[in-house]
Amino acid sequence: MAAMASHQSIASLHSHGCIGSSTLHQECGNVSMKLMRRGFKLEIEPTKREGYCSRKRSCGSIQASSSSLQNSASSPILTPLTGTKSDPSKKSSEAALILIRHGESLWNEKNLFTGCVDVPLTKKGVEEAVEAGKMISNIPIDMIYTSSLIRAQMTAMLAMTQHRRKKVPIVMHDENEQAKAWSQIFSEETKKQCIPVVTAWQLNERMYGELQGLNKQETADKYGKEQVHEWRRSYDIPPPNGESLEMCAERAVPYFKDQIEPQLQEGKNVMIAAHGNSLRSIIMYLDKLTSQEVISLELSTGIPMLYIVKEEKYIRRGSLAAPTEAGVYAYTKNLAKYRQKLDEMLH
Amino acid sequence: MAATTFNGSVATIKTHGYIGNSALHQDFGNSSLQFSTKGFKIDLGLSGKKHWSRKRGSCLIQASFYQATTVSDEVSTPDSIKVEPIKKSKEAALILIRHGESLWNEKNLFTGCVDVPLTRKGVEEAIEAGKRISNIPVDMIYTSALIRAQMTAMLAMTQHRRKKVPTVLHNESEQAESWSQNFSQETEKQCIPVVTAWQLNERMYGELQGLNKQETADKYGKEQVHEWRRSYDIPPPNGESLEMCAERAVAYFKEHIEPQLQAGKNVMIAAHGNSLRSIIMYLDKLTSQEVISLELSTGIPMLYIVKEEKYIRRGSPAAPSEASVYAYTKNLARYRQKLDEMVH
Repeated sequence: MAAMASHQSIASLHSHGCIGSSTLHQECGNVSMKLMRRGFKLEIEPTKREGYCSRKRSCGSIQASSSSLQNSASSPILTPLTGTKSDPSKKSSEAALILIRHGESLWNEKNLFTGCVDVPLTKKGVEEAVEAGKMISNIPIDMIYTSSLIRAQMTAMLAMTQHRRKKVPIVMHDENEQAKAWSQIFSEETKKQCIPVVTAWQLNERMYGELQGLNKQETADKYGKEQVHEWRRSYDIPPPNGESLEMCAERAVPYFKDQIEPQLQEGKNVMIAAHGNSLRSIIMYLDKLTSQEVISLELSTGIPMLYIVKEEKYIRRGSLAAPTEAGVYAYTKNLAKYRQKLDEMLH
Repeated sequence: MAATTFNGSVATIKTHGYIGNSALHQDFGNSSLQFSTKGFKIDLGLSGKKHWSRKRGSCLIQASFYQATTVSDEVSTPDSIKVEPIKKSKEAALILIRHGESLWNEKNLFTGCVDVPLTRKGVEEAIEAGKRISNIPVDMIYTSALIRAQMTAMLAMTQHRRKKVPTVLHNESEQAESWSQNFSQETEKQCIPVVTAWQLNERMYGELQGLNKQETADKYGKEQVHEWRRSYDIPPPNGESLEMCAERAVAYFKEHIEPQLQAGKNVMIAAHGNSLRSIIMYLDKLTSQEVISLELSTGIPMLYIVKEEKYIRRGSPAAPSEASVYAYTKNLARYRQKLDEMVH
């Protein structure tokens, strides 16, 4: 039972750990991570689209694993243990981390290598962003990070048009003194209702060098299919004058550690709207993946991935179902309280 | 007859001038511009909204546009004018779009240069604007440095029929420039460069930014606030007056955008109420008195035809669902036909 459950999301593992398997329970901290690496299914697909499995293993259905989570719905491990006499001042903060990969861009549609060329979303990409927003409309957000490319920024802003809390995202400007001075807000009340949006080139898509703008088929004809496949799917081989995935990770992960992690440690809920490779790099760090594992990692576009951050641990909670879907998404106690507050808000 | 159409759009005047009224015809170059300054109607409200800059009677939009077809013949095929073949006059389209509702508009807060995004309604307005211009050629796009204008431009372009791809240019640093390079000639030809410029930003509102409009009126007094908002040259504390906004917006237009238009490039500018008013003030040679009572509707594109260094206001192209008549110049009509023929 435990072995089968190992293929499913970590949430199930926790519940089984809680219920009674003593070996699992004791090494809960380590084992869950290992099992996650081997048996994770990154896209937990309540939608009709095919799920991606990073390994060719059978995947458990989301309903099953979520419902087993539902059994221990309060998820005792994730909420403060009443039995522990902890110092009241050292209240462990729990924070939500949402990762969203932007949807279809105009060059995706044309099958061109995009990289860091600043191409906007298609109509479909716009819809994907709005749908993603509906999925996170009940998750608290205190800060937003995006790349410096318009497709990620639009994704974030479109998603936020669906948010129930009605705090206002405000893009931060510090490119020069004037930009900073001109964008100042002079009302404390208004500032409290703001969600700062930070744009960072470090979260940009992997720079694709001399392949940027080229047609994928033509490039395969020109350089050979194997060479192109190597550039696209290896960990450390960059295309001519471009970045390898390793190089992309080298600037995305430090940015995450320096700028975003401290916010999460403070209990701030963060959303990151970025790109396939910059998000893969971050997930590699969050889930402690090997380079072998990360290169076969696929992140669906427009489906938000949620992590709960607690005591410096990143606990993947999977992807969020659309409001119309009959899946079960179990909230932590804090998230449930937040949602209730939203429901009670006169709006 | 000429007197009553005086109050209508420029196009109407030209038609009458062309048909036979010799006095008008002779001063053709000047008169049309003069008339436009006195009798302009900036928001040609095809969608049902109508804003008037002056309290004058207005002509039916249908009538004035319909008659404009005769003008376009003159504009694009100068048979009656003996022009040297080498000096082929280029005609370019200039589209101005004011972004739609932002999250602070909704909350009735002074926004200025605070970078606040669009609401759902603002998103829809942008898409609707896009439908109206889906048949007008666009070669270059200029927006401000604020996300609400940039989103408006990109959302509008999702509706464009030509399928050229807007690409935002980056020159904030060496790295940004080199990283965003496009390595395919073929692809570059299919690109519409998008230039972001702070000079096209909304008027900076200084210490009023973020304040509630009602609270500010209570605090400073209604008259003072009205003066800051509606005067030409009185800025709010540490902010810009409309005059100051115009200084940097028009200078940018003349230096960067005008040369593109003169070279025959079709340009779209997605920006803000005050920066666009400033530009229209320059295009239509308005006085400061006229510009302060100028209102530009949100999300309704305003089209100008640029020809021989003249800016001819053509009003707003119709939405696909509207039962009105929008007359194209010959070039615009040819472009549209090309789009219709394109296998897509």
